[in-house]
Amino acid sequence: MKKTLCLALALVLSLVFCGITAAETEYINGIDANFPPFAYVDKSGEPSGFDVDSVDWIAEKMGFTVQHQPVDWDGIIPNLMAKKIDFIASGMSITPERAEKVDFSIPYWTIKQVFVAKKDAEVTVDDILKGEKTLGVQQGTSEAEWLKENAEKNDWKFNLRYYNSAPLAVEDVLNGRIDAAAMDDAPAEDAVQKKPVKILGTFGMKEENFGYAVRKEDADLLEKLNKGLKMLMADPYWDELIAKYKLKDK
Amino acid sequence: MDSLIAVREALPYLVQGAAVTITAVVGAMGLGLLIGVPMAVGQVYGNRPVRFLVGLYVWFFRGVPVLVLLFLFYFGLFSLMGLNLNALAAATLVLGLTSAAYQSQIFRGAIQAISRGQLQAAKALGMSDIMGIRTIILPQALRLSIPGWSNEYSIILKDSALAFVLGTSEIMARTHFVASRTYQHLPLYITAGVLYFILTWAGMRALRQLERKTRIPGYSHG
Repeated sequence: MKKTLCLALALVLSLVFCGITAAETEYINGIDANFPPFAYVDKSGEPSGFDVDSVDWIAEKMGFTVQHQPVDWDGIIPNLMAKKIDFIASGMSITPERAEKVDFSIPYWTIKQVFVAKKDAEVTVDDILKGEKTLGVQQGTSEAEWLKENAEKNDWKFNLRYYNSAPLAVEDVLNGRIDAAAMDDAPAEDAVQKKPVKILGTFGMKEENFGYAVRKEDADLLEKLNKGLKMLMADPYWDELIAKYKLKDK
Repeated sequence: MDSLIAVREALPYLVQGAAVTITAVVGAMGLGLLIGVPMAVGQVYGNRPVRFLVGLYVWFFRGVPVLVLLFLFYFGLFSLMGLNLNALAAATLVLGLTSAAYQSQIFRGAIQAISRGQLQAAKALGMSDIMGIRTIILPQALRLSIPGWSNEYSIILKDSALAFVLGTSEIMARTHFVASRTYQHLPLYITAGVLYFILTWAGMRALRQLERKTRIPGYSHG
């Protein structure tokens, strides 16, 4: 009895602590799996999405293997810094604040930030900004930062609520707890296809570009990613991907 | 209808998450047991410095939220120590270290429930302290600890949901992923709740069984 218990314990502990180190030639891409259609987990549980497919293609062309690791968005840059992941290809906007900590690849996608509200709601972007409405946003995003800063500057009176992911904010729009959610246009389109919500329009935030993020010391990897991205964007597969994930090219 | 389809499709994926959860919980309980028992013995029978150190450990791990500990160890201390642990290993280790603090107090209570006279009697028969503790006190104390221990199991099980902040894809993380893709939040959270319920129930049952199996007929402590 005691022996089997000890054996079982040893087995479990060794299972947990094995596989600690990864091979050198393999890179780990950290994704926010709550960000369809750029990064999510598909029906069979595999990482999927526009960014995942793009990186897989690049990895094949540039001759490295890649593993996609879902990471909590709040901790994604600390994960990169602590070398738990090697780069981030997951719909990350290039911002000056982030660029102080990480290096970004060439921009590969331009995104607009929009408000999403209930389909039958009679509100406009102006109502949300200037009326005393409640607005939801994913914490740690560039739109969250922008809304907070500009609310003070412009004396906007909305009440800002923070969520762990954009889909959770959309869920609360449907529940009626918040009047609208601020998010990137691509995931907003995704929500419109799946739930009775509509896009109210942009709210004055400047367009942003997505880029892949790497640690500053990893110039090698950045070069590979940049080269691969340029090849991919010139390849017909790029348009196939855009069609596959129902993204609107601008 | 959509919601049922989403749940059915997600179920195998979520059940795999339950396996990750179980690994973390069993690992943490085991580690907590391994560290917790000596700590409890040290706190009851040890000299001043030992009691102080154990007290300090317990004070720290009970005083700091698990979420903070996860961040502190994974992003800070483990890296400083040169330990390159994956997320599951790190989460298990942190949960285990935390659990050791709580478990030590469960065992301490049980040890103190055994009358001191027993150890004195053991010494009178020529046993050393360690032998007396190991063969007389602990077998009784550990049996007494099982009910408290099953409480600890259900607590760690639920704390393990926090492990996602490190990127461990256990039940809760997977539920979020599927919900983000399908927008079926409510049915999926219900499913996750049911999975946790089943795990709690099964664990409690197993520990009840252990309690019955290890009971000594005709024995009542005191």
